[in-house]
Amino acid sequence: MLLAVNDTPYGSRALSVGALLAQRAASAVDILLVAAGDEGIGLQARQTAADLEAAGIAVTLQPRAGRLAHETVCQARTVPYDLVVVGSRGRRGLNRLLLGSLALHVVAHCPASVLVVKGAARSFDRFLICSAAGPSSEHVIRFAGHLARALAASATVLHVMSQLPLCETAATDDLLAPAEELIRRRSPEGVHLERMVRLLHGVGVEARALVRHGLVLDEIVAEAREGQHDLLAVGAHTTPIGEALLEDLAADILLAVRSSVLVVR
Amino acid sequence: MAGLKRAGWGLLALALFILALALMKEGARGIEPLLEGFFRVTNPADSLGFGWLMAALILSGSPVAAVAVALLSADALQPAQAFTMITGSRMGASLVVLLLGFVYSLRRRKRWPALTAGVLSLLISASAQALALPMGLWMLNWGWFGRLRFPGLEGASGGLNRWIDPLIQPVATALPDWMLFIAGVGLVSLSFHLFDRALPQVRLQRTEFGAVTQLIYRPAMMFLIGLAVTALTMSVSISVGILVPLSARGYVRRENIIPYILGANISTLVDTLLAALLLGDPRGVWVVTAQMAAMMIVSLPVILFAYWPYERFISRALAWVTRDRRHFAVFLVVTFAIPVVLILC
Repeated sequence: MLLAVNDTPYGSRALSVGALLAQRAASAVDILLVAAGDEGIGLQARQTAADLEAAGIAVTLQPRAGRLAHETVCQARTVPYDLVVVGSRGRRGLNRLLLGSLALHVVAHCPASVLVVKGAARSFDRFLICSAAGPSSEHVIRFAGHLARALAASATVLHVMSQLPLCETAATDDLLAPAEELIRRRSPEGVHLERMVRLLHGVGVEARALVRHGLVLDEIVAEAREGQHDLLAVGAHTTPIGEALLEDLAADILLAVRSSVLVVR
Repeated sequence: MAGLKRAGWGLLALALFILALALMKEGARGIEPLLEGFFRVTNPADSLGFGWLMAALILSGSPVAAVAVALLSADALQPAQAFTMITGSRMGASLVVLLLGFVYSLRRRKRWPALTAGVLSLLISASAQALALPMGLWMLNWGWFGRLRFPGLEGASGGLNRWIDPLIQPVATALPDWMLFIAGVGLVSLSFHLFDRALPQVRLQRTEFGAVTQLIYRPAMMFLIGLAVTALTMSVSISVGILVPLSARGYVRRENIIPYILGANISTLVDTLLAALLLGDPRGVWVVTAQMAAMMIVSLPVILFAYWPYERFISRALAWVTRDRRHFAVFLVVTFAIPVVLILC
């Protein structure tokens, strides 16, 4: 695991959350520290390293000069990490347009899964895992499921039905049905959701399936807000052709929600 | 063998298309008094309503757009009128899908599913045309395309006419002009049916777009696919129909279909452009080019910079129309009332 931090409040939050995760789910941790002096985040990082080592986890402190986003991506390209943890500055509107987004840059260029820590430090009790009901979703569920188990969190597997019927023979009943109904009917989405929930139960995570109806991005953001989930997990495109053809929903979600976001690769 | 058969249908369709254009041009003199006197098509607003209703009446937009350029070529319409008549034909074509959906829905307990594609198509056409119409008229008025020259156009058209005139003249002397025109409209509709038979069956499920029912593609990508597939099929309803086999359950994500229809609305005018070229009248080419350019100028910024707000707007409008019978009835009345009001006022 790589914890990428700098001397800012969001860097400090990322370090706290990363340390919590590392204690429960990692065997080795690199702390990438982009800071000028030994005070502040530097002190916090050394204390965190000592705590993790005391817990039997191998820790390497890697001080760097430069920009956190660039250094994080370079480091992640050098070592095959399972997870990279960064904080979000929470820039919005014109600020983000002019100054860029650290989280977006890291998510876009890191070959590993990335956890973007947002908001105040808090426990991760409720995961929202987004599923496109396709084969690639299984990897997202497995990855997020292991993290949820480590944090003793519950999980909601969300699928959004945004489809519209194009012909007279369309299976329109499936388009409006809730998750329980889809599972009962054994529709493709229902079969998938049931399998994903079982998969989570199998690793010891309390889980349920949820289907919302509407535009995918809007419904995910609405559920993240209404369900008060602490962490939202979503998949990312992993092939060049996927990146070229498919919409980058992970980036859109990252910018739109207030909870922490796990982008799984 | 199947390829040869398709090529045969294609050649026959093209021959009928050329013949139909020539008949309409020849017969336009007979229809001109009817247009001005009975239908009161005397300004661009009238021709917008006329094209709209005519496309709904004959259940297709492309023949009406071809009629518009034929009437322009015969000086029965001004360029601005031909432009708005083509715009009207696009609106009327969307109405056709809606009407067919409505008829189907009467036979089913659940109403909205069969209507969704039609309502969506009409909403997208209306939203794009609402901006493209004034922009295209402005471009025509300022002569943006007047500088376009087509050196071989009149020569090629003259060459075609030398072949066709001997066929038409005996008919033209035997029949009144208005009847020639009606025969031309009938033939042009028939030629589009034959074109449909001649077109290759595009199967998107064999490509990277097979997951179009589940995954969300980039709007620009779907816009380009809609543009390309409709340029091949020359019909929005056919190109949308091509998406149906992608899902055994006959649906597609709205995030994918909206940019697809936006692209399709532009390239569906390819056949009208062909008609204008065959008629050999540069004004017809300018009018169709202005129509396509205006649609492109409106659609591209939406796709590139404002897709999410546009998608939300269309999605909410769709939800409102399909909420209950009363809302749908209001929508249907408005879509029929607009062209009638345009003609009457």
